[in-house]
Amino acid sequence: MLTREEAKKITDRVLALTTFPECAVSLRNSETASIRYAVNSVTTSGFQVEQQLSISVTKDKKTGSTSVTEFDDKSLRDAMKRAEQLSDVAPPNPEFIPGLGPQQYANFDNFVDATAAARSAAMIPAIRAVIEGARAKNLVAAGFFERDATVSVIANKHGLFAFERSTDSRLSTTVRTPEGSSSGWASSQSPDISKIDVAAVAAAAIGKCDRWRNPKRLEPGKYMVVLEPTAVSDLLPLIGSQFSARSAEEGRSFLSKKGGGTLLSEKLFPDFVTLRTDPFDKRNRGMLWTNGGIPAAPVTWIEKGVVKNLVYDRYWAQQAGQKPTPAANRLMLDGGTDSLDALIAGVERGLLVTRFFYLRVVNAQTVQYTGLTRDGLFLIENGKITAPAGNFRFNESPVRLLQNIVKMGVPERAQGGEGEGMIAPALVVKDFPLTSVSDAI
Amino acid sequence: MISRRTFVGSAAALALSERLFAAETAAAKPSPELEKLGALALNEAKRLKATYCDIRITRYRNQTMAVRLNPERGTGKTLVVPTVADSGSFGFGVRVIANGAWGFASSPFVTMAEITRITGEAVAVAKANSVLQTKPVELAPVAAYRTRWVTPHEKDPFAVPLAEKLDLIRAAANEVKKSDRVFSSAAQMVFRSEDKYFASTEGSSIQQLCLQSTGGVNATAVDTARGLSKSRRFQAPPSTAGYEIVPVMNLLENASRVREEVQEHLAAPPVTAGKKDLVLLPTHLWLTIHESLGHSTELDRALGYEANYAGTSFLTTDKLGKQRVGSDIVNVWGDRTNERGLATIGYDDDGVKTTKFPILEKGIFMHYQTIRDQAHLLGEKESRGCCYADSWGSVPFQRMPNVWLEPGSRDTSLESLIAGVEDGILIDGDGSFSIDQQRYNFQFGGDAFWEIKGGKKGRMLRSVAYQAKTTDFWTSCDGIAGPAYFQQYGALNDGKGEPAQSNAVSHGCSPARFRQINVIQTD
Repeated sequence: MLTREEAKKITDRVLALTTFPECAVSLRNSETASIRYAVNSVTTSGFQVEQQLSISVTKDKKTGSTSVTEFDDKSLRDAMKRAEQLSDVAPPNPEFIPGLGPQQYANFDNFVDATAAARSAAMIPAIRAVIEGARAKNLVAAGFFERDATVSVIANKHGLFAFERSTDSRLSTTVRTPEGSSSGWASSQSPDISKIDVAAVAAAAIGKCDRWRNPKRLEPGKYMVVLEPTAVSDLLPLIGSQFSARSAEEGRSFLSKKGGGTLLSEKLFPDFVTLRTDPFDKRNRGMLWTNGGIPAAPVTWIEKGVVKNLVYDRYWAQQAGQKPTPAANRLMLDGGTDSLDALIAGVERGLLVTRFFYLRVVNAQTVQYTGLTRDGLFLIENGKITAPAGNFRFNESPVRLLQNIVKMGVPERAQGGEGEGMIAPALVVKDFPLTSVSDAI
Repeated sequence: MISRRTFVGSAAALALSERLFAAETAAAKPSPELEKLGALALNEAKRLKATYCDIRITRYRNQTMAVRLNPERGTGKTLVVPTVADSGSFGFGVRVIANGAWGFASSPFVTMAEITRITGEAVAVAKANSVLQTKPVELAPVAAYRTRWVTPHEKDPFAVPLAEKLDLIRAAANEVKKSDRVFSSAAQMVFRSEDKYFASTEGSSIQQLCLQSTGGVNATAVDTARGLSKSRRFQAPPSTAGYEIVPVMNLLENASRVREEVQEHLAAPPVTAGKKDLVLLPTHLWLTIHESLGHSTELDRALGYEANYAGTSFLTTDKLGKQRVGSDIVNVWGDRTNERGLATIGYDDDGVKTTKFPILEKGIFMHYQTIRDQAHLLGEKESRGCCYADSWGSVPFQRMPNVWLEPGSRDTSLESLIAGVEDGILIDGDGSFSIDQQRYNFQFGGDAFWEIKGGKKGRMLRSVAYQAKTTDFWTSCDGIAGPAYFQQYGALNDGKGEPAQSNAVSHGCSPARFRQINVIQTD
């Protein structure tokens, strides 16, 4: 992996190749080791080294951008020349904002050597444990175990330079019956590969598969649901991109006020809803900057149900006379103290959702999404799980989901197959619209 | 882990990518320098006792131009905001079979030393994984080829001056924004090239150049008083072709239509939910074909290899040759040879010469999409040429070919399909799309919707989506327009696999009619 000094040498070399007043460079170097398995056997696996350098140059507000993976002198010179030529023919960008000067970034390093060093030989025992656990119950495991070590760098002609290195690892597994009558899923993520709880992942996926056999078909309709943290982490982060001050002001967002203006400072959610960004939570990989170099910082988007902040990129902040804000990612929803079992115990009739699948936007303005339940849906009656339930399609917005929360569990890092995940509690949510049945197992 | 010496060493090398892929595309044989680098990996793999090895050395180029016209904050004055980018990527990936297991490693440092090192890494991965391998990998036979292949094209899109391209998209975006009632407009063009060299221990040495071109315009209209915002889009068919497709995109003409239709969309009433007949245009139906028929007929899904991510399939192997999926008029092909299809190429990433094969015949499921390590699982003797990796750094696996629906009879027109509908909806363009992990239950939106009443196309509607089960939907198909209406649309970013990979694939069809489909009203 590139060290800070090596990265600085490269970005200095690139910045020196242009006489343009504006040049921004970003550099990414990563190593990834992964093992994929299915049908109780290893399938495709790999070790990948990647690097990419992106250059953006601007003169007279005319910007040209390029990126390369070759870092030899000729390639870098050619890349710079290409970016300058693109800039020559590009029309001026009236929304161009000059690069930031040097910034103060947090002293946050979440790089774990053991994760960066792990290769197939070190990762195989985890896969073996999952497969053997499944096989012992005559079940079939598929899954993915991946770790990466990544260096990210930004620099520009105004003296900005920032270097960040981070690691992360992820294990997820799906356990199915051989004839395909049931499926269970579980996952674990951590910057420290030694904290991946293989036994818990295997037990949870196998347990779900065992309990979900022959699901009962229920009628579509509005249900009280208990969403496990993974299900919350699939759906809720989709609200993040909708905090844009620009789209709110322009009448294109759920935060637009009818007749003009925004819903900033309005109370849209229950008192117990607080949604935040915390880029320095050690459960996540690091993130020192967003939006072109703005230092990452904790931001509260919704506080006790009130919309507290909107996202201002540097251009819109300048137009609006506001300070630029970091992006609304690395989300955390404050939770309560109840365990998942306690949340289930409080539901008279409802459904427990393991995770969601194939989420796609239906209406960007209301943030309405459609998607399906997957890998374990259970009927709750009188506070107890009484039967496996057949899958459903839903059409719902995370905005309405936040408005309909009844109770919250303890937050944890969660990530399904949809997006970057978040720190999410399990939630009890009323009136969740399940619109049609799915025969999928 | 890359050592400092390896990194600095690569920085001292020459810019290889240009030189390696600079040879005349008319040449019949691959570049000798590429063949020399390829042989390094193959020989090293053999030395390390691998029983199979292939190497792909690949260079990508992606040129994107976009223009957005939007009002300035506070003044309302129209600002023209451009994006001009031209990016590249170059590297190699080595895939081996050792101890009966697959191993893969890749690197952006295309040097002789690094190719040797990475080949060793791939063998190490294979050997480590082999302890959990239940059955050794078995490859279907393949012929050896020493050849080159180039996307048929008339005009290299990268040779066309940028100014000419920018002028065209600016004119298109201006055309949309001519009306004050259009809040914002945008136009874009994308050109991509993939220079790929493939060599394998089966004796193949294949150099290919694939070109992809596309463009489009879109518009947004906002009614602040009602708290509504709606869009309209024209997407030209993304194609394997050169710049010659740009004039036939008719960007300006379509821009005028988009301008009018976005206003109509904003003013349109929401649909009334219920069972309705649908007439789906090729601009829309391509995506329904892709999700419901394309993905369900992938063999890796059917066998459980995608169970943890994309899912499995309702079309299990016991249904091959028996299961009715569509009505008698539904004939569907898998094809990596058809003109301008995004998945069209000479040879796949297994080194298999690409082909065309029936997926559904008269509505019955006939064949899966396969690659070399899957054919024996069906008792088949050869791969159907569906192997692809989206980057030099990605593991090749089974990806979708172009999957297209055969047109109906010559005398079936779009008008006759509409004339046969009492209460229905005509849908143009793709919108929201979602389908379950076994490809049963799907929901699709669209870009524009018109009411059909009494056999006639009427007013525009909004907030439309339809839900169905794949087999119910396709068996309800009772009309497909003739060959004159056939058009091919597709996507550059079809996701599958872990780590996720992106495939470009086309789906051709003529307009088709579906009876009594469940239509819902969305937000």
